[in-house]
Amino acid sequence: MRTRARTGLLASYALVVLVLVSLNFFLPRALPGRPLETLSDPRSQTFVGDATTRAALDRYYGLDRPLLAQYGSYMSGLASGDLGTSIRYHAPVAEMIGKRIGWTLLLVGTAVALSTGLGMVAGIRSGWRRGEPADRRLVALFLALDNLPAFFLASVVAYVFAVRLGWFPLYGARTPFSESYGAVRRIADVAHHLVLPVAVLALQFVTFQYLVMRASMVGELGSDHLMLGRVKGLSEHVLKYRYAARNALLPSVTVATLQIPMAITTAIFVETVFAYPGVGRLMFESVGDRDYPLMQGCFLVLSVGVVSANLLADLLYRRLDPRISP
Amino acid sequence: MLWAGVGIVATVALVALLAPLLAPYDPRAIAGPPLRSPSAEHLLGTNDSGQDILSQLIWGARSSTVVAGLSACLAVAVGALVGALAGLRRGLTDIVAMRITDLALALPALPLLILVVAFAGSSRTTVVLVIAFAGWPATARIVRSQTLALAGHGYVQAARGFGGGPLYVIRRHVLPAAGPLVAANLVYWAATAIVLQAGLAFLGLGDPTEISWGALLNRALEHQGVYLTSQWTWWVLPPGLAITLAAVGLAFIGFGLEPRANPRWERT
Repeated sequence: MRTRARTGLLASYALVVLVLVSLNFFLPRALPGRPLETLSDPRSQTFVGDATTRAALDRYYGLDRPLLAQYGSYMSGLASGDLGTSIRYHAPVAEMIGKRIGWTLLLVGTAVALSTGLGMVAGIRSGWRRGEPADRRLVALFLALDNLPAFFLASVVAYVFAVRLGWFPLYGARTPFSESYGAVRRIADVAHHLVLPVAVLALQFVTFQYLVMRASMVGELGSDHLMLGRVKGLSEHVLKYRYAARNALLPSVTVATLQIPMAITTAIFVETVFAYPGVGRLMFESVGDRDYPLMQGCFLVLSVGVVSANLLADLLYRRLDPRISP
Repeated sequence: MLWAGVGIVATVALVALLAPLLAPYDPRAIAGPPLRSPSAEHLLGTNDSGQDILSQLIWGARSSTVVAGLSACLAVAVGALVGALAGLRRGLTDIVAMRITDLALALPALPLLILVVAFAGSSRTTVVLVIAFAGWPATARIVRSQTLALAGHGYVQAARGFGGGPLYVIRRHVLPAAGPLVAANLVYWAATAIVLQAGLAFLGLGDPTEISWGALLNRALEHQGVYLTSQWTWWVLPPGLAITLAAVGLAFIGFGLEPRANPRWERT
């Protein structure tokens, strides 16, 4: 029974991925902009004037073949890791994304860890003092944070901490030519560049973790084992962390995995503002260049990342909470 | 909280409505020398081609109000209809509708929006449609569960028993009962729509002929060296604050409506 449930779950996620992959193929062909539109648009940088050359290019990319045949070769290409060739850079898209994905993973991973920690600590404090002024202030603060658009928050943080105070670098992931640095200095350099983007990204979705942790903590407040602990005369600290918080931790594990998809999509904005060389920034650049194959590659990688993170959260949730498994 | 939100949103709507009267200059006209600091003639200075930033900010309220309003209404209308029909008809309709809803919910919204707008062109209609497309599934889920709870009540079963069709029952019973919930949803989605529209425009995917807060931000941050002088404070900060304020105002209304939507909801 359990394996059947898991097979069903995997099948529904596989369906989502199939839909994404197919959308990636059919959307450009169904919508007004053609896949090679930049080559036939006189205003674009990559305009090809000669009609015969354009036809030859269409043939080269297989765009003169029937739609289903194109779909077939697109799918078999994908299966072997072929994401096409960037029009602007004349390089394989998969290779270009491969060079950038490490930065996005570093950014997203650090941000999720940070927001989980911050959300849990603040949620425990807030829930324990529910209704008191300290709790109200925290709730208001986190709700306000939740409504700050990522690109705006990023620009404010960049202006204040990089430009005005000069504490952190404004752009990029590394100091140029830092390859010559020693290992320790290089790591410090990367960390230094990481601080602002990670802070913005973490603050973008910390509210979710905070609210769940707070609600979970509030749910523990009236419980019997807490009352027993109190009767036994245990200290406030032990009651708060060992009795209440430990029991309230379960949902926050799932929330942490649910934050990964949010982090991946928000990273598009954060990387753009900080010129951070990840896949999100690459997607932004490819949109500006109308480099469709590159853009589609980024779309596919980012959205499959989102769906896999959702699957992970789903599996983890079922494992941690046996009640929802059939 | 509700009334604070209503106040903010009403102000933004009023500014949008009265934009031609309030704006000191034509937002597209070259009103002065480029990159001027704030002065008596240009309260928020001018941008890199000499357009008055305050006038653009005021006209930008229009674009945000219209896009957020239209896309939120469309998303919630489609979602509510699908959810209510699925909840009332049950059976195959329900299964198929909910399968599609779950699938649409699982698609990552932002990357998909970027892809569609990049290919379909960033006209206002496209932006409204794609934002609405991202919004309907969540509403459908909520309205369906509300309808399921409702369908068990005697008066709904009586109405159906006397031959009331699904559309009649939706109009007569489901909508009044789910009304506050749908309204809260509408407001939340309008807030999301404002941020999404601004986000798309910020990424360079806004309607190029339109003056919007996101487009203002996009232009300002594209400008080399916007961080290097005090330009940032009057070119980036005002549209950013405007977007935030509008979104927060709508979120406040949403919070305020929540206790009415769900009477058992406990104020914490």
